[in-house]
Amino acid sequence: MRNNKLKTAATIFLLGLLAVPLYFTSTFVLHMFTLVFFYIALTAAWNIPAFGGKFSLGHAAFFGLGGYTAAILYVKLGISPFIGVVAGTFVAMVGGVILSFPLIRLKGPFFTLSSIAFAEVLRMVAVDWRALTNGSVGINIPFKPSWLNLTFTSGAPFYYMALGLALLVIGLAWWIRSSSLGYHLRAAAADEDAARALGINTAKAHFLGLMWSSGLTGMIAVFYVFYNYVLEPGTAFSMDLFSLQPAMNGIIGGMGTVWGPVIGAIIMTPLGEFLRFYLGTIQQGLNFVVYGLMLIAVVNFVPGGIVSLIEPWFKKKKSGDSSAADN
Amino acid sequence: MDDLLVVRDLTKNFGGLAAVSEVSFEVRRGEILGLIGPNGAGKTTLFNLISGLLVSNRGSIMLEGEDLTKKPPYKRSAMGVGRTFQVVRPFDMTVLENVMVPIFAHYKTSKEAKEKAFEILEMVKLDKMADKMPANLTLAQRKRIEVARALATKPKLLLLDEVLAGLNPTEVAENLPLIRQVRDSGVTILFIEHLMDAMMAISERVLVMDQGALIACGTPDEVTSDQCVITAYLGEEAPGC
Repeated sequence: MRNNKLKTAATIFLLGLLAVPLYFTSTFVLHMFTLVFFYIALTAAWNIPAFGGKFSLGHAAFFGLGGYTAAILYVKLGISPFIGVVAGTFVAMVGGVILSFPLIRLKGPFFTLSSIAFAEVLRMVAVDWRALTNGSVGINIPFKPSWLNLTFTSGAPFYYMALGLALLVIGLAWWIRSSSLGYHLRAAAADEDAARALGINTAKAHFLGLMWSSGLTGMIAVFYVFYNYVLEPGTAFSMDLFSLQPAMNGIIGGMGTVWGPVIGAIIMTPLGEFLRFYLGTIQQGLNFVVYGLMLIAVVNFVPGGIVSLIEPWFKKKKSGDSSAADN
Repeated sequence: MDDLLVVRDLTKNFGGLAAVSEVSFEVRRGEILGLIGPNGAGKTTLFNLISGLLVSNRGSIMLEGEDLTKKPPYKRSAMGVGRTFQVVRPFDMTVLENVMVPIFAHYKTSKEAKEKAFEILEMVKLDKMADKMPANLTLAQRKRIEVARALATKPKLLLLDEVLAGLNPTEVAENLPLIRQVRDSGVTILFIEHLMDAMMAISERVLVMDQGALIACGTPDEVTSDQCVITAYLGEEAPGC
């Protein structure tokens, strides 16, 4: 019964989201929604290795690889971004294969450190390999509106695409978490040795988790880059925007859960924009001070993230049917 | 005799220390074999070597004639080596889900895994706790989760690392029959235990380790009257050891 009510509420909420571009013509409102959806997708993708306890600060690597691949194919060779999405996803996954070597061999902070180094190296390659990437000048996506070019005169198509991506990645994350891969990752996160002794190939589980995560991040990046018309090494491989931000969203919302990244992205994206606008103009970097304080507060007082505050209330509502629910 | 596990000259060095040194023994199919020894004797290291969490420096481990010595832990598990850990650290999920984790190696869907996990929970009498989080259970119950999880891998040989330690006498009396019951369902058992009464009551044979070496092997009566064993435990100088 309660479950049905919840489903109805979710359906109404989704229909409401579909109607947003019809009622809000303000580009700012639409942009903010679109950005939130992109960050929900990026954070949910970042979060998949976190099911297994692996904390990456190098997801900008996959973002940059995916974005650059599609942009180069389109601008230099005239290949449609719809093929670019496939190529971008694939190249980002190749990046994932490379990062899987430290992932499997290194424990705790050492994987995190090597993920930072990985993204930084790729950023420098993008700066120096001018023939391919135009170096620091970057690549501009020419404004030729058409579905095939993934270029539009209004913000609505990207609004819907970003919404679709967010729903897709949440759905995949939920599916992965409740599949055998999800259980294996969660077991490895809790106790790697016990998981291995119970017959789980934990190296394989971590590897598969990273493949999903890197591929999805590369795919989201392609849409994000075409939404922004421009990419250069400093933004495409940006530590702030695509490594730290998803991680922040994840920690604050609740790392390793399905809904944590969603909550984190919904709170942090508008807040981040607001802080950058108001505090960043007073004194550069002041916005990061607030970020830092929030992070310390959450890690100290709510280590499970905001989702851990909401969950008990949610579980109580659902206790009517006691089928082992998890999120 | 039909040997399930054959260990030959197994040696593991940590730097200059031989944690396990040239240990040879066999586990007979269907028996309950106890493993005792003073603290630091190398019992848990031996378990880590058999389950594959550590790789030996020398020697061999054969299960039903197949060489396990160099195989990774998850393959040994698939071949029939199951184990529990001395320090119980259940995964941070419900009791049922804890048992489902290893089952996913055999069943692909959640539904099948859930049914199978429930059967195992009934066997260890935790079926009423299925939806609880392990943190809300008693130590004795958490130790039974460990056993249930290990049973879920369908082991031929089950290594139990102090599943009775830390329990009060009533709980020991409750958990002890479980070990017999598991054996009677066709699983051979090798177990480490410090509770001598319990150990002597249910094991058919006992291995004794001291300072990395195997110093005695026999029935409980033989072992307890062995001079070397008495020396290892009481520290007296005995001739011929």
